[in-house]
Amino acid sequence: MYSLMLLNGGIGSRVAAGRPKQFIDVAGRPIIVYSLVAADAVPEIDQIVLNYPEGFLQTIQDLVADYAIQTPVTYVPAGASRHESVAAMLPECRNDRVLIHESARPLVGAADFKQLVSDPRENVSLMLPIPFTVAPVDPENARVTGSLERDRLRNVQLPQKFSKADLAAAHDKAREEHLVFTEDATLVAVTGHEVHYIDGQDTNIKVTTPTDVKLAGFLLAGDDDDA
Amino acid sequence: MPKSMLITGASKGIGAATAERFFYADNDVTDFILLARESEEFEKLIARLGGDNPHGKKVYPHFIDLNDRARIVGLMHDVMNEAGKVDYLVNNAGYTAPSALQQIDFIDFERTIGVNLYAPFTIVQELLHCGNTFELIVNIASTAGMGGRPGWLTYGASKAAVINMSEAMKDELSIYGTRVVCISPGRCATDLRRTLAPDEDPTTIMQPEHVASVIDMLASDVGHLVDSQNLVVRQ
Repeated sequence: MYSLMLLNGGIGSRVAAGRPKQFIDVAGRPIIVYSLVAADAVPEIDQIVLNYPEGFLQTIQDLVADYAIQTPVTYVPAGASRHESVAAMLPECRNDRVLIHESARPLVGAADFKQLVSDPRENVSLMLPIPFTVAPVDPENARVTGSLERDRLRNVQLPQKFSKADLAAAHDKAREEHLVFTEDATLVAVTGHEVHYIDGQDTNIKVTTPTDVKLAGFLLAGDDDDA
Repeated sequence: MPKSMLITGASKGIGAATAERFFYADNDVTDFILLARESEEFEKLIARLGGDNPHGKKVYPHFIDLNDRARIVGLMHDVMNEAGKVDYLVNNAGYTAPSALQQIDFIDFERTIGVNLYAPFTIVQELLHCGNTFELIVNIASTAGMGGRPGWLTYGASKAAVINMSEAMKDELSIYGTRVVCISPGRCATDLRRTLAPDEDPTTIMQPEHVASVIDMLASDVGHLVDSQNLVVRQ
């Protein structure tokens, strides 16, 4: 069985002024609901560890009740950084295998979680090929410093799954060596653990701007392009 | 897997015809939660189903006035306790007291909205709060909800709201894989129709069994191919 760590603590100033982005509505309902409902439909997930921004515990608990989420939820206050949040959430996970997702990706489906769960390898992330060219640069001088092979790069997505021990060890090492990572697949890999990837869906976007909110709403409406 | 079906307004008309069609068929619908006000017709239906039950199905009848929202809320918890789940929901119960605008008794208007709109909403919301995931919800509206008609202001307005509510419900419940279909019957030989058109010969118009056969189709494999926000059914 798996514990799902649902990252939900960040304050998204880019999307909605005045309230955390996980409470903005996408297609008529709070963005976090999509991840909760998708996870609730996966029998292998028997615990959701959910973090919340300060002052929003009751709001989150009301949503979990209103949407009748059946999977037991453990609530953890959000940390000041992603590393702190994960460090606070990991000890609350009662399973040896954990999934990580973030509520800012509302287009996740139960199938995405199931795809990870059914993969026999321990540490696996959804990732996407990069269909465009990216370049390494020196931002201070606005100079291009070389080239990157597109085939050897991937757009890192969530959800991801890890051995709890590997993830804990990676975060311990990051803390000791003052490493800062914005997601966990590369952190776990860089700290010496094998991490694999499988192709995700290009619709599984992260909602970070008002344009993303509109795009997510459009994608959630489904195919409606009948002639 | 055995399925359960909740039908409101089950004592007669489209509700009773739907209950009997699914009850007597050799299908996977095994549990029937039937809601209606206490009446001789309802008693007879319950006795009929109890006395002639070829497939050993279960019937859970409940006497309720669907204008009593507090009772609906309590009853949905009882329904979950006795049947465990509701796969198919047919929101059929309807009320009307046709009258010209100047003569409408506001209590009748409130009752019309209470039974026709608030009741189906409350049933769906409470069952969702209980953790129920529907497979199919059929909301019975009316062609009277698609355009205003003199004398039918309250009824038409309530059914227009049901059509609109069904559209929102369809989109919102898609995250659970629930199908929501709104049916708008045209002239159908029910008691409610008799109230609206007392001089009409009911044998000349669509029968409740015809609408029940459409609901049967919606619950079948073919029904999964029907993507409609308002399905007009008329003869």
